[in-house]
Amino acid sequence: MCLWLGLDNSAGQAPNEGGKPDKNQWYTLALKYAKHYAGKVEVLPKVPITGLKDFSYWYTPGVAAVSMEISKNKDLSFELTGRWNTIAVVGDGSRVLGLGNIGGEAALPVLEGKALIFKYLGGVNAVPIPLGTQDAAKIKQTVMALEPAFGGINLEDIESPKCFQILDDLRSSMNIPVWHDDQQGTAGASLAALINALKLTDRRLADTVIVLFGSGAANLATARLLIAAGADLGKLVLVDSKGVLHAEREDMDELMLKHPLKYELGIKTNKIGVRGGVEEALKGADVLIAASKPGPGVIKKEWVSKMNNDSIVFALANPTPEIWPWELREAGARIIATGRSDFPNQVNNSLVFPAVFRGALDSRCRTITDSVVIAAAKELAAFAEEKGLRDDYIIPTMEEWEVYPRVAAAVASKVVEEGLARRNLTKRQFYEQAQMIISKSRFIVERSMEMGYIEPLPGDD
Amino acid sequence: MIRVADESKGFRIRAATRGDMEQIVKLILRLKKLNEEFDPLLKVSDDASVDAEKTCREALETRKDSYVVLVAEDKGRIIGVIIAELRRRPFYEPRVSGVITDFYVMPEHRRKKLGESLVRKASEELKKKGAGVIMAEFPFQNKIASSFYQKLGFRAVVGIFGKEE
Repeated sequence: MCLWLGLDNSAGQAPNEGGKPDKNQWYTLALKYAKHYAGKVEVLPKVPITGLKDFSYWYTPGVAAVSMEISKNKDLSFELTGRWNTIAVVGDGSRVLGLGNIGGEAALPVLEGKALIFKYLGGVNAVPIPLGTQDAAKIKQTVMALEPAFGGINLEDIESPKCFQILDDLRSSMNIPVWHDDQQGTAGASLAALINALKLTDRRLADTVIVLFGSGAANLATARLLIAAGADLGKLVLVDSKGVLHAEREDMDELMLKHPLKYELGIKTNKIGVRGGVEEALKGADVLIAASKPGPGVIKKEWVSKMNNDSIVFALANPTPEIWPWELREAGARIIATGRSDFPNQVNNSLVFPAVFRGALDSRCRTITDSVVIAAAKELAAFAEEKGLRDDYIIPTMEEWEVYPRVAAAVASKVVEEGLARRNLTKRQFYEQAQMIISKSRFIVERSMEMGYIEPLPGDD
Repeated sequence: MIRVADESKGFRIRAATRGDMEQIVKLILRLKKLNEEFDPLLKVSDDASVDAEKTCREALETRKDSYVVLVAEDKGRIIGVIIAELRRRPFYEPRVSGVITDFYVMPEHRRKKLGESLVRKASEELKKKGAGVIMAEFPFQNKIASSFYQKLGFRAVVGIFGKEE
């Protein structure tokens, strides 16, 4: 799933007055700015330097003492270096946004953008690392070899189905958290929104019939997370381009060999015996989570109208949802969410990943389990609930930036509870730390802009 | 006749009858489609269903003495099948082998030792019919099958290599 920020009026430079720019205008601006700034993030010193003699402790000979300490206890690298707050944003360019397989170099602008968001919303130092290989074994080997440098790994835009095995293998073999945002970020945001949508419609997750339309990384990860969160496997119905997935579908053996996760879900889900396509699947269903292909027109109003009363529909395709929100409303859907910032209820992984990594890094986490993702989703949901749930407010917006330290603290506390932390603080302390780091990060950007170190956006030529 | 009831696992294994033919044909076709995944020389032909019916008729009717066909049944539905043929082995001892040629279990019912039961029961029946050795044929690249049979004590005995001309 592609990341759709669509922040309105970024830096007050709306390119056309009175309306949002269309895709082509975004393209023009992005190219122009890329040329102007030549990169979106950079490495800056964070220690005082008054003269070259200072390098005697920042570098040789003094630094040898620090190295010797770490050589005796590798975990000291989290205390004595910047490892604790540094992650790699790794991609192989095999599935970049909606552009498909465009290779490592071409993936770099996206990874840089991701690094920028990590820093701005989560205070995380993220290093973009596009790889020169698309071979699963080599990707795994390379990422594993990066472990000493980083406190975490964010995998990005790696194609399905290889992304599942890569994530699972790296998660089990590395001692730092490995996260694939296209899977877990989107799944976490969907779960958060669903928790509140179920509350508003007086449903229990375990009794709810959920149709997942589209079986890319996002929805398969959502299926996995929903199961971990207590959804009834038998009441989950996955639908892909070949129709409803079920244990007897003709291509199950092919899936067994080529897509083990989907095969597994094919065997275990849909015990309610749904057959056919998405239309059949939606008859009487409570929830539809679509992450398939850009609409409109991918999902038809008539199908949605056959869903249960008070139906919940997330149409998450970007840049245009599978069906427009107003069409969903006309079809009788009660709670509607999309991936877009210009409609209510934006289900966006950007609400999840900066906070999850903030919390994971502050607790010096060893791995991010599904329970940690669920804790993040629950905190996101709780935040919205405290503000007052409405059919058009089931998940916080990205502008509500207080949500990030809240979710970070929930994540860090869960990590401690699960025994996966290298550093134990109270939830309150984690919250304060997260808030301090994130505020500082935003403050530095603001000050750098005031001081002209970060130049204002170039005007029209 | 064998009647193995294993209610705890929700299936039973029995000898196939002519009435099972239609369902067996479907499973054979699924098996051949699976084989197709392993090698282009195993591409399933357009009239494969005719061949599947022919195999069934031969195994259950015209040459039934030379075959063992067992099915696994769950609530009246056939969820697995094994077809084995008795073959003479010129030049070698033992003289007669029981060769498992078609063996398929529906995805939902795998990993429950059903396949293992089918192979064991079929082996017993083949021995009763004179087989001194049990063989299994499957695509060379099918690692799942090869590890399955190895777990049951089988080993690679002959290999068939192919090349397009």
